[in-house]
Amino acid sequence: MQRIATTVRLNRSVLQFDDAAHTRLEQYLAESASLLEGDPDPQEILADLEQAVADQCARRLRPQQTVVTLAELEPALEEIGSLQAPGGESAANHAMRETATLNLQQLSEGAVISGVCAGLARRLNLNVTLLRVVAVLLLLGTGGAMVLAYLSLMVLMPYAPLQPGGAPIRWLPSKTRAFMEFVRAKLGVDQPSNVTA
Amino acid sequence: MCKVPALQIMATEPKLAPIRKGLLEFLVLKIVGAKSVYVPDILRQLAGTEFATQEGTLYPLLSKLRREDLVQYEWKESDAGPPRKYYRLTDTGRAQLHALNEYWTLINRTIANFGH
Repeated sequence: MQRIATTVRLNRSVLQFDDAAHTRLEQYLAESASLLEGDPDPQEILADLEQAVADQCARRLRPQQTVVTLAELEPALEEIGSLQAPGGESAANHAMRETATLNLQQLSEGAVISGVCAGLARRLNLNVTLLRVVAVLLLLGTGGAMVLAYLSLMVLMPYAPLQPGGAPIRWLPSKTRAFMEFVRAKLGVDQPSNVTA
Repeated sequence: MCKVPALQIMATEPKLAPIRKGLLEFLVLKIVGAKSVYVPDILRQLAGTEFATQEGTLYPLLSKLRREDLVQYEWKESDAGPPRKYYRLTDTGRAQLHALNEYWTLINRTIANFGH
């Protein structure tokens, strides 16, 4: 037995796709849906996009041809292009940048212990070395209080998502991060972890 | 001086991409403001200009404009295929287009006045 074609409903049109074209179509639509993450109205855009794919494919079918193949689908998708957020920035990227700049987060990249100083320096626009010098002076001056302060910030500040291709992470910060994430998972505390762009 | 190669260089100059991107919204408002259109009409008008655009760019933009209450659409039957979405400006959209037009004229005048 051989399956000849799959019938697909694309918004208001119904078309038949062969296996290869059907797989490619599913991949394109899944990609498009993930590009719309964070968009307030993804359903509407996806419906429009499905209709566009259907129209473009139907237009490319030869007379008597009923099943869409890659020969029609590929140029159709090429003409439609991938989804672009208005303003040129994808919604997902935008959401990530917002949380990265608004929240106080620990930065693992370039961190020495856990990323508290690196995170504070970025949030407050301070020189990180200067901040670390102040932290060490406070440690020498106050002793236990500074250790307590650092530990509480380490617990309270969530970790910023790791940046693919970012600066390498030292041994201690990577262990601290893994440990803290383990503890948070045990305690059931929300940790928006490892979102990659 | 030969003009055509200069224009071709401009089309691929990455510095100018944000300008085109920013102006696309203005241009779409202009096109929709002239008469009620559906997406292929808009694409056809933009094709062959510096603002040639794909559906993948236009749908998210139109969705945003509709959310901002600048455009609205209605379904119209077509002779071939399923019904089509025809877009037109709302009153807010018309006011915004008017403001953008004036601002654009102003900017052009400012630019022209520099460098003399």
